[in-house]
Amino acid sequence: MNSLLIETKALSYNFSNGVKTLDNINLQVEEGSIYGFLGPNGAGKTTTLRLLLGLLRKQQGSIEIFGKNFESERLDILKRLGSLIEQPSLYAHLTAKENLEVYRRIYGSGKNRIDEVLQLVGLTYTKNKKVKQFSLGMKQRLSIAVALLHAPKLLLLDEPTNGLDPNGIIETRELIKKLNKEEGVTILVSSHILAEIEKMATHVGIIHKGKMLFQGTLSQLQNLKKERSFLELETTNNETAWNLLQPYAAERKNGHLVLPFETNAQTASINRLLLENGIDVYRLQPQQNDLEQLFIDITSDKL
Amino acid sequence: MSFAISTRAELLKTKRSASFWLTISAAAMMPGLFFLAHYFKPEGAIKALENDPWGTQFMWGWESLNFFIFPLYVILICTLIPQIEFKNNTWKQVFASPQSLSNIYFSKFLTIHLMTFFFYLSFTFFMILSGVLTSLLNSDFNFLRKTINWQTLATLSFKSYLSILGISAIQYWFSLRFKNFIAPVGIGLALLVVSFIAYQFKWEHIYKFPFAHPLLTQQTFGKVGRPLIENHEWNSILYFLAFILIGLLDLKFKKEKG
Repeated sequence: MNSLLIETKALSYNFSNGVKTLDNINLQVEEGSIYGFLGPNGAGKTTTLRLLLGLLRKQQGSIEIFGKNFESERLDILKRLGSLIEQPSLYAHLTAKENLEVYRRIYGSGKNRIDEVLQLVGLTYTKNKKVKQFSLGMKQRLSIAVALLHAPKLLLLDEPTNGLDPNGIIETRELIKKLNKEEGVTILVSSHILAEIEKMATHVGIIHKGKMLFQGTLSQLQNLKKERSFLELETTNNETAWNLLQPYAAERKNGHLVLPFETNAQTASINRLLLENGIDVYRLQPQQNDLEQLFIDITSDKL
Repeated sequence: MSFAISTRAELLKTKRSASFWLTISAAAMMPGLFFLAHYFKPEGAIKALENDPWGTQFMWGWESLNFFIFPLYVILICTLIPQIEFKNNTWKQVFASPQSLSNIYFSKFLTIHLMTFFFYLSFTFFMILSGVLTSLLNSDFNFLRKTINWQTLATLSFKSYLSILGISAIQYWFSLRFKNFIAPVGIGLALLVVSFIAYQFKWEHIYKFPFAHPLLTQQTFGKVGRPLIENHEWNSILYFLAFILIGLLDLKFKKEKG
């Protein structure tokens, strides 16, 4: 197992209204991964990220980043990570370059980093434009540039594609993948859209109502999806079909047959088998729970 | 070293901001009015300014400054500097950057005081410019033939600065507590009005009330037998120390930052 860049143990948090916003979160982000932190709005993603950055005071549990305790090594940890929490945090009356200069001073990065990060996020041509004239997509990209100024080893991005147009979403996703692949940056990215995470993450954590419902690699999640896919079948003679399909673990259910879905090829061979035995098929429907459905199932307490 | 870096970053944030323009316009207001008044209505002013044009004009300027403009400026600047973060939703980025809380807190406060210093310099510059231009356009004014008493000017600036220290720390604390612009400015203005009323009614404890300290400095300045630092100015320093500490602790123990 790779070393963990972020590890929380039994992290819980209550806001003053007494509602448990986070309940026993054990987040594990491996070095070199793109960790997709997934959950519907209000699930506790931002609260978790704000705790990781010290923007909320920890109540219960522990937080270790880069193997160090956050509370005692806050400054050392923050020097090595970049973040973008919720909406872009930029000074509207300053130019793109001046915004970067504010943080370049704080991080003590070289002057050449400003042009480098602007190029990385594709904003070189607008460096002298005031941020108030920027589109949301440009602001989001500039915020990522701010987060990248000091070449951090870890990036925390909270819903970085929120409010972006399709083109902006693709660009941001490609940038995240590029940073991970070419610069070796470990990235924790939150989103409420599974399809978005599926396209870039290597690891996934699903949070709902403050609880972690799933955590593992993307392929582990895809296996879970496979386990939960099935084939629905209705024929002229369900009884005979059931007998014929015993090797496929067919079951009778509500007047039709249900069997585990494996592959499209297997579905075709089942159809052929039934036809060859004189059974006509009315309906042969793979209920291939895509991740979207799985996500809905997980987060709507079906699991 | 890291504190200097934080302060340099803070100063950059004020570029083209409302706080910068407020400083320039508040400093230029009285000198501008004097210039216009002397230009359009020179008769009375020529006579009044005959003996000591610089001393008299500066005293007129400082009167309006210490009675109203300067405390108002301090209330506004203490709010406008933290408002840069509130308005742009940037507090979270500031707190998530590798700066200690006290660096964040004091670098912003120092920026406020550097702006105040800039205000003093600008005011003095505009006053001199106003006098010079007045004399160039109307030679009956004798600003160019007389000298400026720099020592009096420096002493009054110093005492005036001491007198606003308490207000600055109180207002800075308010402006960090309130997200909106109106609340800290409203409270500050209300307390300023209270100080005028207390002054009118000759309240015996007025020297303990921080918002009255600038006008007390103006009132006592130049009088014979007064100490360099008046009682109310010592009080202003004490308020400053107390509220700067309260503000820092308040920030430190805040559950939610940014």
